[in-house]
Amino acid sequence: MNSRWAGTPPGAPPDGRGGRGARAVTGRQPLWSPAPVPADVAASPLAVVHVGRWYGNVVAVNDVTFGIGPGVTGLLGPNGAGKSTLMHMLAGLLPPSSGQVLVEGRPAGRDPALYRRIGLSPERDAAYEFLTGREFALLSARLARLPDPDAAARRAIALVDLEAAADRQIGGYSKGMRQRAKLAAALVHDPPILLLDEPFNGMDPRQRLHMMDLLRRMAAEGRVILFSSHILEEVERLAQQVLVMVAGRLAASGDYRALRHLMTDRPHTFLLRTSDDRAMAAGLVAEDAVLGVQLVDGALDVRAADYSSFTRVVAGVARRAGVTLYELRPTDESLESVFAYLVNR
Amino acid sequence: MGHAVSVPLVATERLTKRYPGVTALDDVSLALDGGIVGLVGANGAGKSTLLKVLLGLVPATSGKAWVLGLDAATQGSRIRQRVGYMPEHDCLPPDVGAADFVTHMARMSGLPADAARERAAETLRHVGLYEERYRAIGGYSTGMRQRVKLAQALVHDPSLVLLDEPTAGLDPAGREEMLELIRRIGSEFGIAIIMASHLLGEVERICDHLVAIDGGRLIRSAPLAEFTALTRVLTVEVEEGSDRLADALARAGRPARREGRLVLVDLEGPPPYDLVRDLVVDLGLRLARVEQGRHQLEDLFRPVEGDTPDVGLLEAGPPGGHRAGDAP
Repeated sequence: MNSRWAGTPPGAPPDGRGGRGARAVTGRQPLWSPAPVPADVAASPLAVVHVGRWYGNVVAVNDVTFGIGPGVTGLLGPNGAGKSTLMHMLAGLLPPSSGQVLVEGRPAGRDPALYRRIGLSPERDAAYEFLTGREFALLSARLARLPDPDAAARRAIALVDLEAAADRQIGGYSKGMRQRAKLAAALVHDPPILLLDEPFNGMDPRQRLHMMDLLRRMAAEGRVILFSSHILEEVERLAQQVLVMVAGRLAASGDYRALRHLMTDRPHTFLLRTSDDRAMAAGLVAEDAVLGVQLVDGALDVRAADYSSFTRVVAGVARRAGVTLYELRPTDESLESVFAYLVNR
Repeated sequence: MGHAVSVPLVATERLTKRYPGVTALDDVSLALDGGIVGLVGANGAGKSTLLKVLLGLVPATSGKAWVLGLDAATQGSRIRQRVGYMPEHDCLPPDVGAADFVTHMARMSGLPADAARERAAETLRHVGLYEERYRAIGGYSTGMRQRVKLAQALVHDPSLVLLDEPTAGLDPAGREEMLELIRRIGSEFGIAIIMASHLLGEVERICDHLVAIDGGRLIRSAPLAEFTALTRVLTVEVEEGSDRLADALARAGRPARREGRLVLVDLEGPPPYDLVRDLVVDLGLRLARVEQGRHQLEDLFRPVEGDTPDVGLLEAGPPGGHRAGDAP
């Protein structure tokens, strides 16, 4: 997936300066003209093409187009942005009001063969409280008509590390255990596509670490994993790609670093600690890439117009000035910064 | 013990709480002095039990606990007059407005009717609930519910508030606002805060002190800075060519490890800063970061190799047994 950014001011250079194939699209596609579908979207295992979904007059998802390939993709957005609606459409449980949702090239929904390719862990507590975790996984295995449902359930329970509690009723589970029970049911038929709606909710730090390892392993096996989360640090660590939904629209997609580099109207800031801040500051202000330097609390606060050219020159400036670089770190490159920018725009 | 000299905010002495089949708190002795205290631990590690013992709602099996100098075993109601509690679970009545509910909670804490109404209005405004306060809580969003829960914990002007997962279910903007609110309660109003959370990132951002418990035992209670002390490793991030940088460092007699875009250099020996700088220039690389590593809170929860984390077993509990955190 390339990095795309809906709403880049028209006339912005389409190549951007983001690197890694980052690409900006100009403006939003009007609904009434059949907009072309990028080839990489149509060929993706999960493809969403000009999809809208409304409930009465409430528009939950509005003309969204993207494709997702193997690996972990993070789905972000404020509450009510349309993330869960999107998940349910991808799982084939909810038909789109307009556009097409394609799973491995076929329309999602009313296709039991496709349901076997998808594992969905919904956000809500969707498990029967009177079943045990093992029975719940078994139910899912039988629904998928697996040849050996018992073995599959056992395998899934082991995978999510729920063995010790597998024979107790889900009604008595903690939130973290419920999440793992839902995940076991989603994984029981070994699907190549995983849709996980806030899978980390209610998990404690140790369970989070385990879950991250599990998702990384499954991504390395070539699975397509889409997960939604409100915890941006987690998404940053786990997802190679992100999709950001804001008010039903896709605000951006791609590598979040590349997205950050597309935010050309916002300077990149760096903090520097050196052996001689004065000499370093003098060297930096002579560079085109540097917009301004301030001395704050014994450190240099540098504003750079362009990430790429600043990182290219900074070490050279230090060497020419005979200055030792003790610390250099970007202070505004996090996913949190990208997210806040997209949501508040 | 510290409590005899000056009155600490919270002190426990060999505090133990056993439920049938589960030891929820095991010989916990600690003293806390205010500020914003983070309470972290696995599910079922004993966090909620500790909060309930401190509130005087659950009697300890053995050991002692004091809050603001009051004995939790015998002076529970006096403690609850001076302490606010924001529970984790959804505990709000759906069919009343926030204004009525918080006024009711203020009266429960002993405020007269007029004062209760005024305090409720003020507290709701303070947590960011305005016109909505007269609508039934049943129609509130998660963020609004969390604010109501916080308001009822603050309405009687407590000296200490206990917050159990205050950001649960909030989206990034909602989390940010809630954390800012908690920070302000701590700094502007001087109310001490004990906050249980699973999100180590937010604990790191707003807490001054950290208490880590695991399997009912106190792992560590210390200022946050001690958990995130500097390591003896220098992290260098280059946009491309981390392999070339690592090779060049090795040739210069400074072996380095690679982790993706990062090159990790051991800081033992002569300072490597100028060597790194010069190699980056010579190789024509783009330098994005030079930073001494820090210990991470998460390290507390990483399984040590060959060591079975016993808390995992505790959480699962014996068949049919109580989970420590959910025990009555």
